[in-house]
Amino acid sequence: MINITNLEKVYRTDEVETIALNKLSIEIKKGEFVAVMGPSGCGKSTLLNILGLLDDPDAGSFVFNGTEIAKYNERQRAELRKHNIGFVFQSFNLIDELTVFENVELPLIYTGVKASERKQKVDEVLEKVQIMHRRNHYPQQLSGGQQQRVAVARAVVNNPKLILADEPTGNLDSSNGNEVMELLTNLNEQGTTIIMVTHSEHDARYSHRIIRMLDGQTVTENILI
Amino acid sequence: MFKNYLKIAYRNLMRNKSFSLINISGLAVGMASAILIFLWIHNEISYDQFHEKKDRIYEAWNRDVFSGKLQCWNTTPKVLARTLEKDFPEVESAVRVNWPSSFLLSIGEKNFAGRGNMVDSLFFDMFTIPFVKGNSQTALKETYSIVITETFAKTLFGNEEPMGKTIRIDNKDNFTVTAVVKDAPNNTRFRFDYIMPWSYLRKQGNDDEYWGNNSTRTYVLLKPNASLASINEKMKTLRKTYDSDEPKGEMFLYPISRWRLYSKFENGKESGGLIEFVRMFSIIAIFLLLIACINFMNLSTARSERRAKEVGIRKVVGASKFSLIGQFLGESILIAFISGVLAIIIVQLSLPAFNKLTDKILFIDYSNAYSWLFFIGFILFTGMIAGSYPAFYLSAFKPVKVLKGTFQKTRALITPRRVLVVLQFTFAIILIISTIIVKEQIHYAKNRETGYDKNKLAYMFIVGDIEKNYELIKNELLSSGTAVSITKTSAPMTQGWSDTWGIEWEGKAKDDKTDFDRFCADDHLATTVGLQMVAGRDFDLKKYNTDSSAVLLNESAVKAMGFKDPLGKTIRDNGKEWHVVGVFKDFILQSPFFPTKPMVIEGAKGWFNVMHIKYNDKNNMAANVKSTEAIVKKYNPMYTFEHQFVDDEYNTKFKAEQRTGTLATLFAGLTIFISCLGLFGLAAYTAESRIKEIGVRKVLGASITSITSLLSKDFIKLVLISFVIASPIAWWLMYNWLQNYPYRISIHWWIFLAAALTSIAIALITVSYHAIRAAKANPVKSLRTE
Ligand SMILES: Nc1ncnc2c1ncn2[C@@H]1O[C@H](COP(=O)(O)OP(=O)(O)OP(=O)(O)O)[C@@H](O)[C@H]1O
Ligand SMILES: [Mg+2]
Repeated sequence: MINITNLEKVYRTDEVETIALNKLSIEIKKGEFVAVMGPSGCGKSTLLNILGLLDDPDAGSFVFNGTEIAKYNERQRAELRKHNIGFVFQSFNLIDELTVFENVELPLIYTGVKASERKQKVDEVLEKVQIMHRRNHYPQQLSGGQQQRVAVARAVVNNPKLILADEPTGNLDSSNGNEVMELLTNLNEQGTTIIMVTHSEHDARYSHRIIRMLDGQTVTENILI
Repeated sequence: MFKNYLKIAYRNLMRNKSFSLINISGLAVGMASAILIFLWIHNEISYDQFHEKKDRIYEAWNRDVFSGKLQCWNTTPKVLARTLEKDFPEVESAVRVNWPSSFLLSIGEKNFAGRGNMVDSLFFDMFTIPFVKGNSQTALKETYSIVITETFAKTLFGNEEPMGKTIRIDNKDNFTVTAVVKDAPNNTRFRFDYIMPWSYLRKQGNDDEYWGNNSTRTYVLLKPNASLASINEKMKTLRKTYDSDEPKGEMFLYPISRWRLYSKFENGKESGGLIEFVRMFSIIAIFLLLIACINFMNLSTARSERRAKEVGIRKVVGASKFSLIGQFLGESILIAFISGVLAIIIVQLSLPAFNKLTDKILFIDYSNAYSWLFFIGFILFTGMIAGSYPAFYLSAFKPVKVLKGTFQKTRALITPRRVLVVLQFTFAIILIISTIIVKEQIHYAKNRETGYDKNKLAYMFIVGDIEKNYELIKNELLSSGTAVSITKTSAPMTQGWSDTWGIEWEGKAKDDKTDFDRFCADDHLATTVGLQMVAGRDFDLKKYNTDSSAVLLNESAVKAMGFKDPLGKTIRDNGKEWHVVGVFKDFILQSPFFPTKPMVIEGAKGWFNVMHIKYNDKNNMAANVKSTEAIVKKYNPMYTFEHQFVDDEYNTKFKAEQRTGTLATLFAGLTIFISCLGLFGLAAYTAESRIKEIGVRKVLGASITSITSLLSKDFIKLVLISFVIASPIAWWLMYNWLQNYPYRISIHWWIFLAAALTSIAIALITVSYHAIRAAKANPVKSLRTE
C-alpha cells in the first residue's frame, strides 16, 4: 500500500539544518498494523506527517496505492488525503467550537456526503466508540479518554484505508489508553491499515510489526506476528 | 457545508463577545457613514437626470472678457429664446425661466406666500414633470392660468378640488388653476410651488427685447440628431449680429448632464465645481468603510493563534484551502450583514440631522428594488473586503506547524497589521489637521473687520404698501423711539445686487473695464449702518437738497478712479451725473473671504428695495422688533411682517465653510472612533498574548508603569509614523483648499503639533485601558495558565 524509498526531509532554520529523515525506506502492506518507535527527535512525527500527506518530502519516492505522489501539490494531496487517510493525535485536536457530533461529522462534510447519510454514519461510529450519549457535548466537557475516542471516531468515520496515529495514548492513563488501543485493533481487524507512533512498548504490542528509528533512519524491524 | 460555516461563525461571534461587538459596531458605523455619503452622492449625480429628453436639453451660456478675465455666466437676454428658435433650424424649442417671484397669493380673505416662476409655455414639454391633473399642452395656454404642485394645492385648498379654482395674485389679477403637478423631486434645480406663463410677465411690462439685459435663463431643446458642435460654432457670433453693446460676447449651449456638477468656469473653461465635492466625498466614504474593514482584518488576524488550530484540524480532516477561504469569508459576510442591518438603523436615525447639515432631503427609497439590490451588494462587498485578507491569511496555515505547536507569531518590523493601523491613523490625523485648519480659517474671516456696525441693525424688504408709506413708517419708527436712524438702500448690506463697469469719470482710460459694486441709499446711510468716513460726509437730504444726486465712494473706488482729491468730483452712471460728497472705508459687501471691490453708493435718485433700521439700544430688542411689526403692519396690512438682523444675515456668509468644518469634524470624529475601536481590540489581544511575559516580568520586579508603557509603546510608535505620513498630505490638501480664499490664514506649525498631541492622547487613552489592566493582573494567575 505504501512504499517509500530514500525519503529525505531537512528542516532549515536560520543557521541550523536538521536532517529529520535520512534516506528512509519503508514498505507497508494493506491491512498491516505497524508501530513506529524511537527516541525523541528521531523523526517519527515527521515521517507520519509525510505519510499523511500533511507535509512533502525533500527527496525520495513515495508510492501510495501504486501512484507516485512525492511531487503532488497541496491541492492534490488534500484531495487524496480526505478520501483515504484518518488521523489521531496525541493532543486529540478537536475543534472547541463544535460539538462531539459536529466534530465527527466534519470529514463527511468535506467529502460532500448528504446530511441524512452523515447523521447515520456519525451515529454509527459514535456508537462504536461508545460516546453516543455525549454527542451534543463540547470537547471541553469530556475527559481525555473520551476526547480521544471522539478523535478516533472522527478519523474513521469516512472509512479511510489508512489511519495514522501519533502517540494516541500519550496523554491518557493506562485504562483509557487500553480502550483506545482496543478500538484501533478492532479497526485493523476490519481491514484498515494502521501506522502508530508510540513510546510505549505496551501499546506497541498491539501491532504486527515494530519499526525502530534513530536519527531519521530505521534501525531494526521486529515482526510480532 | 454552508450551514456548518454559519454555525461556527455564529458560535465564534457569541464566544468572543467583545471582539464581535468591536467589529460589528465599527463596521456598522463605517457602513452607515458610507451609506449616508452615498445617498448624498447619488442625489448629486442624479440631478436633473430624470428628464426624458435630457439628451437634448441645454442651457444657454455666455462667455466674455471682464477685467481681463474670460468669464462664463448663464443669464441671457430675454429675446434670446425667440431668436434661437427663429435662426437655428436645429432648435426645437427654447424656454425661458425667470427668477423666482414671490407674489402674494390670495384665496378669498386668506393670503399665502410661495415660490413660483414664470416660464414659456413649452416648459412642461421640455422638462419631465408629471401631471396629477390637467395636461402639459393646455396648462399654460392662457395668460391667467397657474399650475401648482400637489403640496401647494393642499396648502391653498386643503382637500378641495383645486382645478378651476381662482387665485388672486398681488391683489390685482385673478388666475385659474389649470393643472396640478407632482412636487419636484429632491434632485432638480426646478423647485417651485407654482408656475405661471411668461405672457403674464409680458403683460406686467417686464419683458424686453434688449440684448444688453442679461436677465433670464434660457433653456434649449435641440432636435434629435442636431449637432451641438455646429450650433455652438454658430452661437459664437450671435451677439455680433444682434448685440451692438457687446458684439464680442460669445454664447454657447451647455448640456444638462453637466449643469449640476461641472458648471464652475475659469478662464472660459470648466474647472471643478461640485464634482470635486462628489469625488472628495467618495474618497472619504471609501476610506471610512475601509477603516472599519481594517478593524476586522486586524482583529481577525490578531486572533489567528486561536484559530490556527481549527484551521489545522479542518485541513487534516479534508478541508481544502478553498473551502476554508469560503468559511472565513462567510463569517465576515455574516458580520457585515449584522452590521449592515445596524447601519440602516443608524442611517435612518441620523438622516434628519444629516439632511439639515447638507441642506438636502435625502431618504432611503425602500420601495425601490435597486435600493435592496444595492444594499445586498454593499454587504457582500464589505464582507469580502473585510474578510479577504484574514481568509487568505488564516487558510494558508500549514497543519503540520499549527498542530505541533511550533506556530510562531511574527516578530517582523513591518507586519500587515501595523501597516493597517498606520493607514487608519494617517487618515484620522489628516482629518484632524484639516478640521483645525478649516475652523481656524472660518475664525479668521469672522474676525475680519466688516467695515460697518452690524450691531442692532436690521432690514426689511420694501414690499406692498411700504414704498407708498415709507416716510410715515420711518417717522413713526423714529418718533416712537424704536429706531435711532433709518435709511433706504438698493440691497441688503450683506448682498451685492448690482455691479457695473459702465461708470465714467474724468480721466478714465478707454479700455478700463474696472467692475464697481453699485449700491444706493437715500439718506443718513453712514449714520445708520455705521460706515467709517475717511473724507467728506454722509448723505443728508435735509441739509443739502442736492444730495439726491450725491455719491459716496469707497477707498478702493477712489484709487481705481485715480482721484487725488475726490470730494466735489463728478462721475456718470446710468446716464446720470453724481457728485462725490464723501469717501468711506471699504466694507465687506459680499464674501468675507475676498478682497473688497471698488464701490459707489448713489444717492436718493437711485432705486430702492430695502429699508435698514438702526434700533435704539435703550429698549430691549424684542420690544423694538414688536413695535416695528405693529407700525409696519399698520401701513402694510396685506403682507406678513418679515425682518432680518444684518448680523444673522452676515453669519450666513460662512455657511458653506461652516458646513465644510462640521463635515470635517464629523468625518474626523467617525474615523477616530472607528480606528480607536480597532486599537482597543488590538490592545486587548496584545495584552492577552503577552500575558505570560508580563507575569514573568512582574515576578522579576517590573512596575505597573513600566509594563503599561511597554505595552503602549508600540502603538504610540505607530501613531507617530502615521503623523509623519499624514502631515505633508494634510498640508498639501489644506494649502490647496485655502487657495480658494484670497483672505486666508497661513498654515502654522502649532496646528500640526496640536494634531500630533491629540492623536497620541487619544491612542494612549484607548490602549492604556488594557495595558494597565494587564499590568495590574496577578502574575500567579497568568503563569499558572500554562
Ligand atoms: N518545523 C521544524 N523546524 C525545524 N526543525 C524541526 C521542525 N520539526 C521538527 N524538527 C526537527 O526534526 C527532528 C525530528 O522531529 P520529529 O518531530 O519528527 O521527532 P519525533 O521523533 O516525533 O520526536 P518526539 O518523540 O519528541 O515527538 C527533530 O530534531 C526536530 O527538532
Ligand atoms: Mg513526535
